[in-house]
Amino acid sequence: MANKEKNFTSAVIYVHNAQNYIEDFLRMIIDVMETNFEHSEIICVNDASDDNSYEIVKKISSVARATSVSIINMSYFHGLELAMNAGVDLSIGDFVFEFDHVDLECDRNVIMDIYYHALKGYDIVSASPTQKEKFTSKLFYGVFDKFTNMYGRMGTESFRVLSRRVINRISSMNKSVPYRKAVYSNCGLKTDNIKYEAKKSNHLISDRKEKNYRLGLAMDSLILFTDVGYRFSMLMTVVMMFVSIFMVVYSVVVYLTSHPVAGWTTTILFLSIALFGLFGVLTIIIKYLQLLVDLVFRRKHYNFESIEKLTK
Amino acid sequence: MKRFDRIIIGAGLYGLYSALFCCQRGQNVLLLECDPTPFRRATYINQARVHQGYHYPRSISTAMKSAGYFERFNKDYAFCVNRGFDQIYATSSRYSWTDGRQFKDFCRAANIPCEELHPKRFFNEGMCDGAFLTREYTYDANILKNYFVEQLSKYQTNVEIKYGVNINRIEKSQDVYQIYTSDSEKYCTGFLLNATYAGTNQILDLLGYEKFGIKYELCEIILCEVNEKLKGIGFTVMDGPFFSIMPFGKTEYHSLTSVTFTPHMTCHDSIPRFTCQDRSGGSCSTFRLGNCNDCVAKPATAFPYMANLARKYMREEYGFEYRSSLFSMKPILMSSEIDDSRPTVIRTYSNNPTFISVLSGKINTVYDLDEVLGDG
Ligand SMILES: Cc1cc2nc3c(=O)[nH]c(=O)nc-3n(C[C@H](O)[C@H](O)[C@H](O)COP(=O)(O)OP(=O)(O)OC[C@H]3O[C@@H](n4cnc5c(N)ncnc54)[C@H](O)[C@@H]3O)c2cc1C
Repeated sequence: MANKEKNFTSAVIYVHNAQNYIEDFLRMIIDVMETNFEHSEIICVNDASDDNSYEIVKKISSVARATSVSIINMSYFHGLELAMNAGVDLSIGDFVFEFDHVDLECDRNVIMDIYYHALKGYDIVSASPTQKEKFTSKLFYGVFDKFTNMYGRMGTESFRVLSRRVINRISSMNKSVPYRKAVYSNCGLKTDNIKYEAKKSNHLISDRKEKNYRLGLAMDSLILFTDVGYRFSMLMTVVMMFVSIFMVVYSVVVYLTSHPVAGWTTTILFLSIALFGLFGVLTIIIKYLQLLVDLVFRRKHYNFESIEKLTK
Repeated sequence: MKRFDRIIIGAGLYGLYSALFCCQRGQNVLLLECDPTPFRRATYINQARVHQGYHYPRSISTAMKSAGYFERFNKDYAFCVNRGFDQIYATSSRYSWTDGRQFKDFCRAANIPCEELHPKRFFNEGMCDGAFLTREYTYDANILKNYFVEQLSKYQTNVEIKYGVNINRIEKSQDVYQIYTSDSEKYCTGFLLNATYAGTNQILDLLGYEKFGIKYELCEIILCEVNEKLKGIGFTVMDGPFFSIMPFGKTEYHSLTSVTFTPHMTCHDSIPRFTCQDRSGGSCSTFRLGNCNDCVAKPATAFPYMANLARKYMREEYGFEYRSSLFSMKPILMSSEIDDSRPTVIRTYSNNPTFISVLSGKINTVYDLDEVLGDG
C-alpha cells in the first residue's frame, strides 16, 4: 500500500436537491479520501433537499470502510454559505475540503493537487475552471474587486481546501460569513488558486431556490463587503456639487443679464444649495450605516435538524 | 439443589454492592458472574465521573437528584475518589444545545457550584462561549473493586461468589427461582436480582419477561498519557457532538471520549446484535453478550478522530498521547434520549418469589437499590 497522508482531512459537501449527481460524486470522494488519507471524514450538508438526496447519501455511505460519513440535515433552506459554515464548523480535519456543488467537472486528481499545493504553505487553495466565466459572474467579480480593498482576486471556484489555521482565524473573528470567499480572501493568510481544464460544461444551477439565493447573495455581498454604496453617494455628492456650483453661477449670470421673474433666482439658488447639502448628509449617513453593519454583523446562526453519523 | 436467600447475577458495582448489603444483614448470598473477575465491564470501563449533574443541563431533575447521590458516594467511598484536579466544563460556540449563559443558569437552579472562567485560557479562540470551573470528581474502579472484595471476604460463611459461570436456564416455580448454570449446577432462591447491565435483556429473555426499551452502543474509552499542563485538569466540552478528557480515577492516565466517536457501533434491537459477534470466536452472541474488552473482534481505535476533535478545541499547550483503549457495551434507555437524563431503573417483575432487574444509569445511583434490597 502506498504511503497515505497522515493529516486528518475532512470533506464538506453541499447537497441540495442533487439526486442526479450525488451518487457518483460521493463514491468518488469516498474513494479519493480512502486511497489518499489515513484518516478522514466526509460531511454532507443536506440543505433541506426535497428529492432523494438524503436517501442516496445514506445508501452510498455504506461503501465507506476507512472514512467516516455524516450528514447534517438543515432545518430549512439556508443557502450555500450558511450551510457550508455549518459543515465546516462540525469538521475536525487538519485540512478541510469544501465542495460547493456536486457535479464536479474536473479530473479527480485536481482534488489532491490543491491539497499538495496547500502543503507548500498556502492556507487556502481553490480550484477553478479555465473556462470562460459567465458574463454575469464576470460582472460581479469585476465590481467586487473594484470596490473592495481585499487581497487577491476572487473568481468562480468549484472547490477549495482550507487549513485548520484559517478556519480558526475566521472563527475567532466571530464575524458573520455571509460570503465565505470574501472572508477567506480577506483573512490575511496566504492563498492561491489552481486552474484546471473543465471536462464538461460549467456547473449549471437549475434549482430556482438556489438561483434566487445566489442573486440575493450577490447583492448582499456587494453591499456588505464593498463600499460600493458609499462610493456611489460620494460620487453623486461631488457631481451635485459641480451641478450646484454651475447652477449658482448660472442663476447669478441670468439675474445680471436678463431679468427673470421675481423669486426665480432665489428658488434656484436655494434648490441647488439644498440638494448639495442633502447629498452631503446622505453620504455621511451611508458611511455611518456601513460602520454599523460592520459592528452589528456578528456571526449568523443556522438551524439544523439533526446530525447523523452514517458509517461505523 | 442449593438454596440461597438471595441470588445476584452480575459482579459489577451494582452486583457487589447488593451482595455486601445483603450479607451484612445476615442473608446468605450467591453471586454469579460470567467473567473471571469482578468489575471487568461497565463499572471499570467508563468515564469514571462521579456525577453531580453538570452533565445533564437539559434534565434538571436528574441534576438535582445527582447532587444528593454525589455527597453520599464521596463520603462512603472517599478512598477511591480523585478530587485533585480542576474539572472544566465548557459550552461549544457551535452545535451546542446549551450555551454558556444557559449552563450557568442551570447550575444556579440545580444549586451546584460553577465558577465562570475565561474560555480563552483553555480553548482556541472562538471555539467555546463559556468555561466553568465545576466540582466533579472521578472514581477509581480498581480501588473500589478491592474494597468490595475485601469487605465480602469478611462474610465468607454468608456469601459465595462464582466466576466464569454462564446461566443456561432460569425457571420460576411455586416459591423459588431455579437457576441452571453451565457447570451443571442448580441453585434456587426466593429473591433473584438481575444486575447484568448490558446483559439485562438476555436474562429477562430467559424468563420471557418484558425487556427494557434500550439500544446498545459499543463504546471505546481511550487512555492517554498527558503532559504536565493537562495533568491537573479535566475538560468536558458540552452539549452536543463534543469530547471530554479527564483523569481516569487515580491512575496516571486521562480518559478521552467523544460523543460522536466513542460509540463504534449501535444496535437498536432489544437484545445486542452486532456483526462483530460472528468474529468473536464463540465468546459472544445475541443470547450471551461477551466482554467487549477481552474480545478478539474489538474494533480499531478511533483515536485519530477523537484526538483531532480535542485538538480543534484545546489550546496547543495541552498535550496528550495514546496509551491504550478499553471497550464496553452501553445500554441506553430509549426514553432518556431527548433530555439526555440517565435514570437508574429498577423493575420488580414478581414478588414471592421475587425477581428484580436493575438497569443502572450511573455509578452513584447505586443507593437506589437499598429500597428493594431492604424489603422482600
Ligand atoms: C462508555 C460508558 C461511560 C460511562 N460513563 C459513566 C460515568 O462517567 N459516570 C457514571 O456514573 N456512570 C457512567 N457509565 C455508566 C456506568 O458505567 C454504569 O451505570 C455502571 O457501571 C453499571 O454497573 P453495573 O454493575 O450495573 O454493570 P457492569 O459493571 O457492567 O456489571 C455487569 C456484570 O454482569 C455480568 N454479566 C452480564 N451478563 C451476564 C450473564 N448473562 N451472566 C452472568 N453475568 C453476566 C458482566 O460480566 C458484568 O460483570 C458509563 C457507561 C459506559 C458504558
